[in-house]
Amino acid sequence: MSAHAKEKGMGLWRRATALTLLLLPLAFLLASGAFAAARKTGDGKVTKASGRCGSCHPDERVAFEKSRHAGEDMHCTSCHGGNDQSLDEAGAHQGNGWRGKITRAQDPAMCASCHADEKVMQPYDLPVDQYSQYQTSGHGKLLAKGDGKVAVCSDCHGAHDVLSAHDPASRTYVTNIPRTCGTCHGDTTLVRERKMKDTYHEYLGSVHAKSLFDKGNLKAPTCVSCHGVHGAAPSDIGNVNKVCGRCHTAERRYFKSGPHAAAMAAEQMAECSSCHGDHGIAPSETARLASSCVKCHDKGSKDEVLGATLLADYQSAAEAIEKAEKVVARADAVPIQTEDYKARIEEAHTYLFEALTAAHAVSPEAMSGYTTRARSVGEEIQEELGSKLQNITVEKLFLLVFWFYVIVTIGIIRRFRDAGPRAVK
Amino acid sequence: MSTLASETPARTRRDRAVDWIDARINLSELFSFLTHFGLIYTPVDTRRPLRDVLEQIRTTPLESYARWPHILGLLTALLFALEAVSGILLAFYYQPTALGAYDSTRSIVRDVMLGWLVHHVHMWGSWLLVAVVLVRMIRLFWDGLYQAPRELLWFSAVALAWLVIQLDFTGLLLPWDEQSYWSAVRGLEIVWALPIVGPMLSALVGGRTMSEDVLNRFYVLHIIVLPVLYLAFVYLTFATMRRVGLSRVGGVAPKLTTFRRHASDLVIITLLLFAGLVTLSTLMPFQFHGPADPYRTPKGTLPPWYMLAPYALFQLPLPRWIPGLALVGTAFTLPFLPAIVRAAGNRLDDKRLRMAGLAVFGLWLVLSVLGAFVDRR
Amino acid sequence: MADGAGRSDDQPGAEGGTDRRGFLKTLSGAFLSLWALGGAGAIAAYMRAPEHNESSNERVVRIGRLEDLRIGEARLVRHGVSPFFVIRTGAEHVIALSAVCTHVRCILAYDHERRGLICPCHDGRFDLNGNVVSGPPPRALPTYEVSTRAGEVFVRV
Repeated sequence: MSAHAKEKGMGLWRRATALTLLLLPLAFLLASGAFAAARKTGDGKVTKASGRCGSCHPDERVAFEKSRHAGEDMHCTSCHGGNDQSLDEAGAHQGNGWRGKITRAQDPAMCASCHADEKVMQPYDLPVDQYSQYQTSGHGKLLAKGDGKVAVCSDCHGAHDVLSAHDPASRTYVTNIPRTCGTCHGDTTLVRERKMKDTYHEYLGSVHAKSLFDKGNLKAPTCVSCHGVHGAAPSDIGNVNKVCGRCHTAERRYFKSGPHAAAMAAEQMAECSSCHGDHGIAPSETARLASSCVKCHDKGSKDEVLGATLLADYQSAAEAIEKAEKVVARADAVPIQTEDYKARIEEAHTYLFEALTAAHAVSPEAMSGYTTRARSVGEEIQEELGSKLQNITVEKLFLLVFWFYVIVTIGIIRRFRDAGPRAVK
Repeated sequence: MSTLASETPARTRRDRAVDWIDARINLSELFSFLTHFGLIYTPVDTRRPLRDVLEQIRTTPLESYARWPHILGLLTALLFALEAVSGILLAFYYQPTALGAYDSTRSIVRDVMLGWLVHHVHMWGSWLLVAVVLVRMIRLFWDGLYQAPRELLWFSAVALAWLVIQLDFTGLLLPWDEQSYWSAVRGLEIVWALPIVGPMLSALVGGRTMSEDVLNRFYVLHIIVLPVLYLAFVYLTFATMRRVGLSRVGGVAPKLTTFRRHASDLVIITLLLFAGLVTLSTLMPFQFHGPADPYRTPKGTLPPWYMLAPYALFQLPLPRWIPGLALVGTAFTLPFLPAIVRAAGNRLDDKRLRMAGLAVFGLWLVLSVLGAFVDRR
Repeated sequence: MADGAGRSDDQPGAEGGTDRRGFLKTLSGAFLSLWALGGAGAIAAYMRAPEHNESSNERVVRIGRLEDLRIGEARLVRHGVSPFFVIRTGAEHVIALSAVCTHVRCILAYDHERRGLICPCHDGRFDLNGNVVSGPPPRALPTYEVSTRAGEVFVRV
């Protein structure tokens, strides 16, 4: 009875499985058919932005409809001309100033037809000088000479998928700019062909790139911060300090007050980059205070000695702070109250940074004000905390008194103990 | 009585005071209670008047356990008392929270007057206590003092050793500095790797990851649960000892002494112990490390020294349950050593057992040294 | 006849020795009672809670009386490694913001004329809301909540 029931159950189970297996491919077929149909009708449907263009240009339609332009009153026909309601190719590709594929040479002027128009751009609070800037740029000048390989609008902004520069997915978003420029300026074959520097990969190793990518500091400079956005051009000698000085204001001030500013202008030398490099700017390193002099000055000259003096001055101050930090660590291990000393060391670190900034004036006088202050803070802390650590020996002296007391007490107790009768046998 | 009183008036005054108290409260009960914890050795009849009880305590000879080697047992009680006093003082300032633990400990050592002394005495005391209970266990084993009728003494000695190690381990975490934190993490890794016992203990301790819950539970275990259990076993030790007497190794009977001499010895030993701890604390203070950082393991962090041997065992290329089973097995057989020896009958003589114990001890030493050099990041 | 050493079983000594023994006993008693005195003193010293001096762990920092701050004046409060400025901008309005530059942790300076904070290291500038005005600092300065109770200014760090 029970065996029969079991068999019956098994049979049912088997049948259900078979049915499922049979139905599965059918369901799959149906689903994929529906999918295909949906795709077809989707492309064929008339959308507001792209009309019927999507029937034949589905990829372009998808890209365009995600773009910033699609949400505005822009259509395929705004750039390409033609008739977006027609369903046959001949009808669509004619009339309304039909342009078809836009060539690279045409591209900037076509974008400018709107983007240089104050009336059109005003509601979006966008500048209208990009086109005129572009024409002054290295790219624009070469394009005018008939060089078809230089960057045009669509190379950086995209053709159909133009996004706002505030959109993190945009090619022109801050963190994406280096890669966007790098498509050409970091392309090894292109770089070799046109005898350019591979500035993209140089930049990737720089302290600026680290700050941008690793620390997420959106204020760190990208390519456009120094070279300009649409008017991209290398900085002229004499302007380098202005460009760098936009952020490094204090360094620029000291630099201009020092002897280097006039001398470099006279010799036609690039100002900041002569010591720091250009695209691959390394993190500031104090040793360069002395080591970079010999790039221009003779070895053993008084100028090199000056550099060594600056370095020695800085290092002695930094050392004093370092020693003070070690004393603080020792005091912390005891522990002794060190909050106040830590605050003072924090201040001394500020002096050290100021000293490095002042070093751009290349004069010991400008720097020594800060190094002296840092050094004196370091020495004071060493002295004060050192004497506090010494005070612990007082406790050791106290220990002697304590032991004297203990021994005398034991003596008294022993007297009391021996005053009683001896052990019972 | 009255004739005595006329000769020495001071004596009468004291007697009168004793009579005054005796008429109002039965202090004999207190003395009877004290006998359980070893201070008073003479059996006290609570129905007798206090003056008689005092006279009896004064005149009855007692076995001197303030002498080597019996002193080891006395030290486990005395050191515990010192730990209790300094521990209570520390508890006035300590806060068992993740935010407060480090700061309050540092504040005790740095800002509170004499706080450093209390803290360091407590830490050095714990160090000594661990050493004393382990040495005591070794000596009891070596002299065969687990044999009838001293099985309970052996049992409580093992229990005391186990409790002291637990006390030390739980106390170690409390400062919540990077060293104590990571040392405790390493130690807990061992506990959690034990089969059966590990999961049970991890439930008791508050989980498998180090957290504030674990800190709080460690704190409660450290200041209430474990000390109370410890006191219970101290009681068991003295209760058994008053019945079976001090050990007589090699047939030498322990010396008999008077209460006065014995009490003086106790005071002197306590004083020396305290002075020793103060000296250690002043000359070799404990270093203070930075606060615990769960995201950074300081280099060279090891579990506490008594856990180095199991730590090394777990680093062996074996499945974890093998060393785990060995450890749990050892832990469970140790208290039942007397029963095992008896069951084995004559096949195990003293000498062979001693050699076996020596071998185990040697293995433990070797493993501990190995554990100290295990390099793990 | 002070009986400092407590109960004693005096053996009847020589007549001359009694006086000296009594003196010794008094001395020992005095000596031993010093233990009690010292112990009590030590515990009393230990029990006295330490004054809460300004430590970086405190959440609420007392700045001082409001009238002691002049309008437009800033006070640098040294709060461990994270000092901050307390600036009275109006009769009733006091603000507090970090004095640590977000660039490389230099201590900022207050510039009354420019109504802002200036970093002496790299000339980074912040306005009084903590926003970066110019220079290398990547982020705005943290600002802290200020409350004035009974004429006294507190900052919640």
